This record gives sequence, structure tokens and C-alpha cells, in this order.
Amino acid sequence: MSAILALAAKDLRLLIRVKSGLFFAFAWPLVIAILFGAIFSPSGTESRRMAVALADEDQSAGSRDFAALLAKSADFDVRPASRVESIGLVRKRQEAAALILPKGFGEASQQMFHGTPPKVEVWIDPSRQAEGAMIQGLLFQIVMKGFQKKMADTGAMRAGLRQSIEEVERSKAPPGQRASTARFLESMDRALGEMPAASGAGGGGQGAQWEPLSIEQHDVAIQQEGPRNAFEITFPQGMLWGVLGCAMAFAIGFVSERTHGTLLRLQMAPIGRVQLLAGKALACAVACLAIEVTLMAIGRFGFHVVPHSWALLALAGVSTVAAFVGMMMLIAGLGKTEQAAAGVGWAVMMPLAMFGGGMVPLAFMPHWMATAGTISPVRWGILAFEGALWRGFSFQEMLLPCAILLATGAVCFAIGTRTLRLS
Amino acid sequence: MPDGTLLSLRQITKRYGSLTAVDGLSLEVQRGEIFGLLGPNGAGKTTLIHCAIGLLEPDGGEVVLSGGNPREPRVRAHMGIAPQVLSLYELLSAEENLSFFGKLYGLDGRRLAERVASSLAFVGLESRRRDAVKNYSGGMQRRLNLAAALLHDPEILLLDEPTVGVDPQSRNSIFDNILALKREGRTIVYTTHYMEEAERLCDRVGIVDHGRLLSLDTVQGLLASQGGLPRLVVETGGREIELFSADPLGELNRLAATAPIDRFRLEQPTLEQVFLNLTGRTLRD
Repeated sequence: MSAILALAAKDLRLLIRVKSGLFFAFAWPLVIAILFGAIFSPSGTESRRMAVALADEDQSAGSRDFAALLAKSADFDVRPASRVESIGLVRKRQEAAALILPKGFGEASQQMFHGTPPKVEVWIDPSRQAEGAMIQGLLFQIVMKGFQKKMADTGAMRAGLRQSIEEVERSKAPPGQRASTARFLESMDRALGEMPAASGAGGGGQGAQWEPLSIEQHDVAIQQEGPRNAFEITFPQGMLWGVLGCAMAFAIGFVSERTHGTLLRLQMAPIGRVQLLAGKALACAVACLAIEVTLMAIGRFGFHVVPHSWALLALAGVSTVAAFVGMMMLIAGLGKTEQAAAGVGWAVMMPLAMFGGGMVPLAFMPHWMATAGTISPVRWGILAFEGALWRGFSFQEMLLPCAILLATGAVCFAIGTRTLRLS
Repeated sequence: MPDGTLLSLRQITKRYGSLTAVDGLSLEVQRGEIFGLLGPNGAGKTTLIHCAIGLLEPDGGEVVLSGGNPREPRVRAHMGIAPQVLSLYELLSAEENLSFFGKLYGLDGRRLAERVASSLAFVGLESRRRDAVKNYSGGMQRRLNLAAALLHDPEILLLDEPTVGVDPQSRNSIFDNILALKREGRTIVYTTHYMEEAERLCDRVGIVDHGRLLSLDTVQGLLASQGGLPRLVVETGGREIELFSADPLGELNRLAATAPIDRFRLEQPTLEQVFLNLTGRTLRD
């Protein structure tokens, strides 16, 4: 065992010494994952309008005005729906938030500077709190626009003020507050009377404990369907590219040992062929796993790539590594020189990557291409990773891709070790 | 295998398709001797060495090393080899190379560190131990190749053309190393196509050509039996006379009595001459 570990440690040390190889094994897949993730991200290319579902339960003039303002807003892309539908859309991540205008919204929106403000329920994915805050700000902006509109209509404004004065006088608020609010409303009424064409108001709520809108925010438990972001598609691709590149590097390195004579000394050492091959396989497996772990860690902490099951992710990772260690051995067996190994290797790997979803995500592939891709271990590797990340695969569903990967690894390893000429 | 015999090759035959690289060759290497395999490039020396170390399985015959079959890993542990092709990792330092090879032979911890240090010191590379091998000269790489062979303190050392492509200084250094090993009583099999190396270093020499052992003896024995007579070249009266004689001094006196001698030189037989006499061609043909 110590000989196997020594062989593996030596190969890993050699991998680290070749800076260009290290770059293509670790950094390049990361670049691909981040670059394509950023390109495919909706925020990168599409409208910056926030997709929200709107349920108008009040169906009053006030709530309809508010809904119209929302629909006209450059900040929101509104989809009308019922309460249940709206929340469901957020749960499925099809909308950023659900806005509910409950009963009484219209009546409350007629009151100015006193009473209960119109309430909006905002239902949002708890992981998108920043967007929640942004929605609140935008809603206030829209309400203020509505308020501005009312202030511009002097007649309607004065009628509203008179109604408000009556309601204030009837209210049970402390006498001091009642008197000061009434005085404020009366002075507003007088001012509007003197300025029939007043254009705009300063939002004179100062002194009164009144706000134009009450927002009640709720969290929605997310029901996962589809990737949460583009990085959940590109990081599995990146991991596969990394593993593929690593397998190629080790295959060429193995052939290089033969052409440079170091394999001769290894064969003359008191170790058997099995130990020698095991050492090579172990080094390749460790390097491939390191690539997967590194990319996954960066994806997790930098790009919100979160697996639904860490155990299934580990299974996907190990199965993929097994497949590509086998392929490494096969390519090392096929190539007589470094150039031949590189030529044969990339000639095999590139179509496998192309049809397997290494370049075009599986979800965007034409049907015939996706069908052709079933022969590619890259496809099964990506599927296994996606299964553990966002496809929500159960253990049983993971068995097929993982079994195919393990079988591919075993067959390639067996053929590779049989064809490998050590001397 | 007789007592004192460390390596025995019996009727070894190895073929590559229609080419017979080694053809029924037998020899024995005794403990403590430097055994030279002398022959031109392509004579079959390296194939024979690869059979001896268990890397190649002979098509016929038997190899016995330290009482066992070198195809078995534990038997191979008795020998060290410096292959003709440099077998070093150029991106690793000398120390890293030796540490790695040492671990393959079961060395570890303090014992490994000691063996690495002493091997590097033996070939004079301790001051460059942390440099990557790619930055070494050809001669330094050859010396490190020798250190790697010595690392696990093997009973028998196989040096396959250990001075190919090295500068005179490194060649002398390697000769000094080999002579030091000889003084320690180490058994060495030394293949070369440089006759002067075989003459200088080897106790016994086997001359190989076309996969066959043409002759095997001590250097003096080969010179005496196959080298022919010493060559006396005399210049007299503007002409050159060449004589082969067992008594060159007597011949010189006889010639001096008949005519004045302007110049003369005496050439003793060499292994080159031995090879020429045995094969009809020179070692470098």
C-alpha cells in the first residue's frame, strides 16, 4: 500500500509542478462555469423588471388603480393570479414575489393622513430577502405616485380631506392627536381651496403617525423545480470539464513515463503491475476529486450552487471519477507516444463532451443530440450532478447514471490495462 | 548455481519477430566482481540486461538472480539498475526523485533520509539536492541515475551504458564512483561499447555481438588469447615497417643492426583489436 501511495503522491506532485496543467485542471473549468453561468443568468441579458404575481382580492377601484400602477411600472412584470396561484408561483421560483391586495385595500387607500393604511401582503422566497427589501421600496414609490395623482386632482383631494376630517373627529384617538390631525387636514383643505390647480404635495404626514402603505412580508417555502440559477447548470459542466482534462493529463503523463524511461525504473522496483496501475489510478482519482470538491466549494459559497442532497452529490462525484479514471487508463493504453495519446484522447473526449452536454446544457439540446448523448459518460456525469443539485433525484433515480458511470469506468479500465504496454 | 555466483544466465534466447536479439547466451556473474558486457550498439546487451532484471521474459533459457527468478518483485529488490535511458522525473528535485524511488523499495523515515543523503553525497550532488533535475547537466543526471540505483543498497548493480553522452569530468567522476563500489566489494554488471571503460574497470569481460557471447575472460586473458601480437611500427630510411611479434624488443634490435632507425612505436593489443579479431569489424562500426 505504501508503494501505491508513493506512486500517487509522486504523480500529484508532478501535476502541481506543471503550472499550465494545473490551470487547465482547476482554473479553466471554473472560468467556464462562471463565464457561462453569468451569460445564462437572466440578470445578465434580460429585462431588469422584477417578475411578481398579483392577487387583487379587494377588486375595488382603489385596488384596481394600484394594480394598474404596478402594471405600468418599469420595475415590475406583473402576472395577475389568485392568492393560491401567486404563492405557488413563488414556491416554484417562477415569480420573485407574490403581492396580495387583501379585502379593504381600496377603502383604506382613500384615507389620508389617518386611519389604517392600505395593506399589501408580500410573499417571498426567504433566500431572496434582498429582493424583498427592494420590492418594499418600489411599492412605496408606486403608492407615492398614486398619492401624487390624488393631490393633483384638487376636487377629489378636498372631498377626501373633508371625509377624513369627519372620520378623525369621530375616531377614538387621544384628543390632542385628534385636534392636531384635524387642524392639519383643515389647513390642507384651505390651502387646496386657495390653489385650485395645485400640482403635487409634499406628503404632509409629518407629525401624524400615518404611513401611506402597510406592507406585510411573508416567507414562502420553496418547492424546487429546475435550477435555481444558471450556475447550477454550468458548475456540473465545469466539473466534468475539469475531470475530463485531468484524465487526459494523467493519460498523457502515463505515456510520458513510458517514453521517458521512468516507467522502466518503476517496473524494476519490487512492486507488481497491479500496484503500479493502482498508484496511477489513485493519483488520477484524487486529482479529479480535488477538482470536483474545489469547484463545488466555490459554487456553493460564491454562486449559490446548493445540492439538495450532499450524499447523492458525493455518489455522483465518486461515480464520475471512476468513469474517467477508467478512461484515463484506456487512453494511456491506446497511445504509444504523448502526441498519439493526446490525439486519440481529445478525438474521443471532444465528441463525448459535445454530445454529453459539456458544451450545450442538456436541457437546451435538440432531441436527437440528447439521444446521441446517451453513449457519453459526460452526459451521465452531468445528469448525476444535476440530479443531486437541482433535479431532486431520489437514490433510486441516481442509480442509473451512477451505475452507467461505474460500468464505463470498469470496462475502460479493464481494456486499458490489458492494452497498456508497460515496456 | 555455484557458490559465489550472484547472477546466472543460462541459454537465454529473446526474439522480436524474426529478429533474434539474444541467441542462446550463457554467463555467470560472481560476487564482488565487475563484469563487463562489451559490444557495439545493437549487439543485444540491453535486451540481455532486461532479461536479467526480469523486465523481459526470455523466449528460452533461465535467469537466476540471488537464487530466485527476477520476475518476482522480492527477487528484484536485490538489484539496482541505472538504465541507459535516464529514468528520472525532471520536474522533481534530486532529493524528491530519490525519496520516491526509495519508498518503492520499502524505505521510509530516518532510514530513507539517510540513504538519500548518502547516495547524493556518493555521487557528489548533495549541494544540488533541491534543484529540479531538468536544471542538471547531462553528466549530473547520469550521476543521479547511478545514485537512484544505489539507493536501496542492492547486492548487484546493473549499469547500462552509464557514461553515454556525458562530459569527461562527469565520466571520470562516474569511474571514481564505480571503482569505489568495487573496493566495497559490490557486484556490478557494466555494459558499454567503450573498450577503454571495460579495460579500466572490469575484472572480466564478455564480448557480445548479434546476441551471442563471442568470448568471456579477464581483460588480460582476452588480450592474450584474442588480441594477437603486439604491433611494432618502425620508420627507417623514409619508409614505415609494421611487424607483429611476441618479442618486439628483439625485432627492434635486429632491425637496428641492419639500418638506422628514425622512429618507432609499439602498440599493445587492445579490446578493440580483440573485437576486430573476433568479428572482423570494429566496435564503432
